[in-house]
Amino acid sequence: MKFEDTAQNLRGRLSIVNVLVVLLLSVLAVRLYVLQVVRGKYYAEAAENQRIRLLPITAPRGAIFDRNGNRLVDSRPIYEVILSRQDFKGDLSTLVQPLSEGLSIEPEIMRDRFEQVRLQPAFESIPVKQDANPGDIAWVEAHKLEFPELRVEQQPQRIYPNNGMLAHVLGYVGEVSPDQLNQQSYKDKGLKPGDIIGQEGIEKVYDDYLRGKDGYRKVIVDSRGHIQSEVERIEPQPGQDMVTTIDLDLQQVAEDQLRKSPQGRGVIIAMDPNNGEVLALASLPTFDPNLFSQRIASKAGRAEYAAMLADPKKPLLNRAIQGRFPPGSTWKPLMATAGLQQGAITIAHSNLVCGGGITIGNKFTRCMGGNHGSPDVHMAIMKSCDGYFYRLGLKMKLEGIQEMVNEFELNKRTGIDLPHEIVSLTPSREQKAKYIPSDPEWKDIDTVYSSFGQGQDVLTPIALIRAHAAIAMNGRMYVPHLMKELHATSAVGEPGNPDYSPGRPARVFDHPEPRNLGIPADQSAVVIKGMWSVVNEAGTGAGIRMAGFDIAGKTGTAQVVSLGKDTGVNKDHSWFVSYAPAFKPEIAVLALIENAGLGSRFGAPAVRAVYDVYYRKTRHEDPPGAQIAREKSAKPVATKPPDKKPPQIAATR
Amino acid sequence: MVVAIQRRNLRDFDWLLALLAIGIVAFGTFQIRNAQPTQGFWIKQLIGLGIGLVAMLAVAFTDYRKLLNAAPAFYIFGLLLLIIVLIPGIGLKINGNRGWIKVPGLGQFQPSEFVKVTTAMMLARYFGKHRQSVLSVKEAAIGGLILGLPIALILLEPDVGSVITYMPILLVVLFLSAIRMRLVVAAVALSVIAIPAAYWVGVKTHLVKNYQQERINVILDPENADKRKFGYHTWQSILTVGEGGLLGAHGSSDQSQSSLKYLPEPHTDFIFAVTAEHTGFVGCIMVLIAYVILLSRLISGARRASDRMGMLVIMAVVGGLAFQVFVNIGMTLGILPVIGVPLPLMSAGLASLIATFIAIGFAISVQLRRFVN
Repeated sequence: MKFEDTAQNLRGRLSIVNVLVVLLLSVLAVRLYVLQVVRGKYYAEAAENQRIRLLPITAPRGAIFDRNGNRLVDSRPIYEVILSRQDFKGDLSTLVQPLSEGLSIEPEIMRDRFEQVRLQPAFESIPVKQDANPGDIAWVEAHKLEFPELRVEQQPQRIYPNNGMLAHVLGYVGEVSPDQLNQQSYKDKGLKPGDIIGQEGIEKVYDDYLRGKDGYRKVIVDSRGHIQSEVERIEPQPGQDMVTTIDLDLQQVAEDQLRKSPQGRGVIIAMDPNNGEVLALASLPTFDPNLFSQRIASKAGRAEYAAMLADPKKPLLNRAIQGRFPPGSTWKPLMATAGLQQGAITIAHSNLVCGGGITIGNKFTRCMGGNHGSPDVHMAIMKSCDGYFYRLGLKMKLEGIQEMVNEFELNKRTGIDLPHEIVSLTPSREQKAKYIPSDPEWKDIDTVYSSFGQGQDVLTPIALIRAHAAIAMNGRMYVPHLMKELHATSAVGEPGNPDYSPGRPARVFDHPEPRNLGIPADQSAVVIKGMWSVVNEAGTGAGIRMAGFDIAGKTGTAQVVSLGKDTGVNKDHSWFVSYAPAFKPEIAVLALIENAGLGSRFGAPAVRAVYDVYYRKTRHEDPPGAQIAREKSAKPVATKPPDKKPPQIAATR
Repeated sequence: MVVAIQRRNLRDFDWLLALLAIGIVAFGTFQIRNAQPTQGFWIKQLIGLGIGLVAMLAVAFTDYRKLLNAAPAFYIFGLLLLIIVLIPGIGLKINGNRGWIKVPGLGQFQPSEFVKVTTAMMLARYFGKHRQSVLSVKEAAIGGLILGLPIALILLEPDVGSVITYMPILLVVLFLSAIRMRLVVAAVALSVIAIPAAYWVGVKTHLVKNYQQERINVILDPENADKRKFGYHTWQSILTVGEGGLLGAHGSSDQSQSSLKYLPEPHTDFIFAVTAEHTGFVGCIMVLIAYVILLSRLISGARRASDRMGMLVIMAVVGGLAFQVFVNIGMTLGILPVIGVPLPLMSAGLASLIATFIAIGFAISVQLRRFVN
């Protein structure tokens, strides 16, 4: 240093400054070491996480076809406004007002949705508006700066046939509910909030096949959440297309018949007795499944749903598998088969007295057809003789009737591939005690009622047609089903990759072995002949006879209220159960027309209408006697009913 | 004779210092380009480097004593710039501070950066007389006044960050002007005790407002601070630095923290975070070492100065630069609160760059004339 100062140690002070500088920068170096070397991985991950987003690509659901390749259900692409929760950390409720105004959504609906989201932390992409129109999309684009958390994405939406055709069979899809997400079986499927799954019908039963596997886009977003680029794209794997056993033409005529019926309520089922394939399954009144897949997230949609739940006609109820009805005289062929099998009657000696009725104790229960003398089993079926079956029932006793119930599995679910099938009610001491506590003892009169399809006999239509089809098949009883085959889908991605989805193989319905009832051929021939005579000779169903196409069937007229009150909406249920051709059956058809009246007058013509279509399709010519004749002879069946009756329609929903 | 002087000039010219400064700027320019690849900031920075080099050479080859004798004129000119910038229409407001003057063709110019040099010159000139005794109160007061005038004007902008970087200039000058050592020790001790105590009292009496507390809390615990509000800058900067790891993040630059706009002000205040992300710990340490060598080189130059004035002007520059480097990088690394202070020689900004080169020019000039007289 060229200059000297006496008052200070300048060299020392300069050194202090120098040391201080090095010291300060060393502090920075240590901190750098901690941030970059010690914790570098952690911060790198945090930085990556904030810029990488996984956006799901919803897989299209498999389409559903009828057996002839007619498309029943498909998906169409719609636009959905989605709120990315990751990009919005504020209070969701502050969005209700601006979004409900901008996108014209009811504020309550939106508030509900946000509440649901609040309770489910896994909700990442919140669908704010489904089926967004061009105006909504433009609004989102125009408000990108204000609401960077919104984006528009294409999503598949399920469309069902309008007018509610096949609604009970197809069911519908809907968002997986919070309750479902809490159940292990749903957790195992890897579902997340907002996912669309089958909630009813075959959509539900075959959901695992129809639902595809979502793909995703891995994108880079900037600090505002705007997508900058796509890093990776895993294509979705579409769900498997499904071919059902349904024949659209038969379904159409079945629904038309029910719609034309006096109350517009009832069931028509057509199935192939040779394998259990359900060709038509109509239950009216019906509903529009599009309500659940498209409109439920709106005020109007919710009101529509509430109205359906409150409707006394119960349109959501699939009457074919969830309704229970007294079978009336359609019970008789089953009794006759069992009576022969059990030896209560024999082919050679099957005559029993009709007597115009029977006296049990001091009470006379009459035969609604008058006095048939002493008919054999063929005549008893043909003329639907109540007196005959009263006595057959008494001979078989309750135990014999129960054996029949077991044989035809009337006390079990049929196992049809639809959800929520209920079990029929069949005669037993316990059941009587349960439903008629004022008179809990089983008496002979109960056996009499139970022997002709009243009293403690309350069946689901599907169980009834299955039993009749078994008689037609000489005792081979199949499980009714709707799935025919599922088409294969190809694999997505590279094997070994964690995102690899293996292809799904095609599959056909896996038929369980038919149950063999062991009915001797000569015995079933007697019953079949009897049912053939119902239509083809002077029986109760003679009005629907088709020359050259042997329909075998049985009418039924089931009381729902005590005699005398059976008018208007409380009229008898009108049944007809049948199969054809009688001795080489191809198709079995059941009709239940609720509260209409005589089986011969309503049930039988409805069934005939189905056969007409079937005949035209398979024989390629107009059915003989195409105009449906009115019934020539009515055979009303009634008796004094029990004091109380088991519930006929179970409210299962 | 002229040739001889020139030859001696070339021999005594502090090449290391100049090349180190140019090297840091070049490296910084590269990082500016990494930070804002689509913008022309890095080109402007190169233009600034050119202007800075010319200014440095001009100052270096001018006798610093002549320049320092004219210090009052420069000082007043600087104050005028600070007044002009306050006039709406001339002064440009950026981030709430009216601290920029628009220069056609080059963008904006921040006078407060430039005035640092004129203030350092003024302080060196005032304290550069031959010294026989310890620092008097009167001298300290005048020193305070010299610093106080520009600070007051800058506070009107109001650019608190810049003001803070002025403080060490005076402190270094006072420290080297024979202030009593015990006063220094006492002042250091007092601030170590009094500042936390004052903060504690302030919190308890609610004199320190909530948002101010938040800013402190962010530094104490950035992990748990609100990363979307007060903690955002610090947290994003820490992420960016940490992501760099040992050798730098290898991701393409269009996925960097700065190009995705997570890191704010990447080319100016947070240029060091960008450097950290792209070059990792190794690159950062090299930058720190470069600064240490640069500053140490300046200090050793000050040791060899032929007079007190020359020594002080260099050390005033050292004080300003060292403090600013520490505050800027400390903020980037999340150990100091976020205040808008550029990193000398690296942050994009003409005024800061040119002013720093002028300051280095002084240091070179002082060294060139160490054998004269």
